[in-house]
Amino acid sequence: MYEIWLVMNIVWEIALGIWPLLLAAVGLWLVVMVTALRRRGACWLAGLPMALGVGAAVTLAAALWVPGWNKSALSEMGYWVDWVNLLGLAAGFGAVAMAFAWPLSAMRQAAVR
Amino acid sequence: MKLTPRPAAAASTLVDTTRRRWLQVLATLPVAAGAAGTATPARANVKTSARVVIAGGGLGGIAVANRLSKLLDGARITVVDRKEEHNYQPGYTLVATGLWPVEKVRDRNADFLPAGVQWVREAVAEFDPEAKIVTTAGGRQIPYDYLVVATGVQLDYAQIDGMDVGVIGSNGLASVYPGPQAAQATWAAMQAFVQTGGEALMTLPATPLKCAGAPLKMTFMLRDRLQQAGMLEQSRIGFQSALGNVFGVKVVNDNVLQRWQALGIGVEFNHRLAAIDIGAKRATFATPEGETVDKPYDFIHVVPPMRAPDAVKNSPLAWQAGPFAAGGWLEVDKTTLQHRRYPNVFGIGDINGTPRGKTAATVKKSAPIVAHNLAEAIAGRPPDGAFDGYTSCPLITREGSAMLIEFDYEGRLTPSLPLIEPLQESYFAWLMKYRMLKPAYLAVLKGRV
Repeated sequence: MYEIWLVMNIVWEIALGIWPLLLAAVGLWLVVMVTALRRRGACWLAGLPMALGVGAAVTLAAALWVPGWNKSALSEMGYWVDWVNLLGLAAGFGAVAMAFAWPLSAMRQAAVR
Repeated sequence: MKLTPRPAAAASTLVDTTRRRWLQVLATLPVAAGAAGTATPARANVKTSARVVIAGGGLGGIAVANRLSKLLDGARITVVDRKEEHNYQPGYTLVATGLWPVEKVRDRNADFLPAGVQWVREAVAEFDPEAKIVTTAGGRQIPYDYLVVATGVQLDYAQIDGMDVGVIGSNGLASVYPGPQAAQATWAAMQAFVQTGGEALMTLPATPLKCAGAPLKMTFMLRDRLQQAGMLEQSRIGFQSALGNVFGVKVVNDNVLQRWQALGIGVEFNHRLAAIDIGAKRATFATPEGETVDKPYDFIHVVPPMRAPDAVKNSPLAWQAGPFAAGGWLEVDKTTLQHRRYPNVFGIGDINGTPRGKTAATVKKSAPIVAHNLAEAIAGRPPDGAFDGYTSCPLITREGSAMLIEFDYEGRLTPSLPLIEPLQESYFAWLMKYRMLKPAYLAVLKGRV
């Protein structure tokens, strides 16, 4: 329980340090979402495969990029905990990318049709 | 001259600004997510008009101030410390090895002190626990009902003949401990050495240390920097320990020595740095047999002997006998962190005369206990919070990898996540040190974890 509380606080403090960036990202995402929701013919289901693809691509790219970003390297991943951690972080980046890609992709499907 | 708490003055301010109040509201928002996570039993706020003085505005002092301001309703809390700058000391080794810019270890104490706490911007000069008075360097007397001693340590470079902290960074002289500038200068000295290679001496004194892992991290990282520069062949690193080991926890000590043997780092035991000729780049080591050994060097990392600051050492608060008496460390019960002779006095952090070296992690675990026990004492109840000596040290083994070592008073390894092997070097432990421990530190400072 304590460890969960500690991790929540770590995430909170990191967020406090970059809050203007987070605020801008959330604002931009809301704009994209509202635009997509109001767009007539936006096709969410059809847009999902592309969004998943973008999320997967970003996850892969992040898995390659994150170690160097933290002054480490993929060659340092010698322990299962390292891989869990790296993939978790990379998946986080992928999820954010997917959150942006899905409404955009749904709107693109509407335009194509 | 006696002082009663007074409104804002030049060297004493009541910390309470609108901007800071907003920041504090923001900072305490996660509390809404759950008040879990303290190692002490929860109780309602204690109503009191007690005067609580906290001597020291480092991590321990401010963390306890934040916790007490939530636990005590009506207490008059005063923090005494002349330092305006708050330094994230666990980051010094990162600055000193070129991993972090120096700005990352610099903050302002004013940003972390809770609203309503009085801050006397002076150093503590004297403790009089009989009269319950703290005297500052400026001669001001501050009476208290309860006292928290959080003064940290005194870096006793004076015990090394010829040592001059002012020239760290030049002539191959390095020392990470004095502060951000010294850490930055140490990196400059390391960079210069890595260009040329040569003889490197890494020292360890015989006294208790704050962050006893720092000398080891510096050694690992120097070796890594030499390897990165392709200068290993032209260099030799020798670790000179004044003790019979390099780390107090045996299993960690053995592991580090094994690694160093594989990395070609030599170790000599019972060699205490006694003198240094900075201009001639020569260090003199004393052995227990009374002999002296003179060694030339191109790079030296000096770890100073440490003791309690004079204000504690020369006061009745210090241990009067036993292994902690020589250093003048604070005589607290190692479990409750309450003073053994003055029950209205508590200690936190490096100043405590308790087993094992201390780090920020020690404060993380002990600050809630000290605050709780002090509140219990005010309420007339016996202190029931128990500290097990928890300390943690993310031991960097090279750029990109570390071991996350956690242990208690008994030297037992106590990993927070039992599935993770403490002596396994990992990217995860590195990430903790490099990216996550400062946010955790800030949460401790604000009294949340």
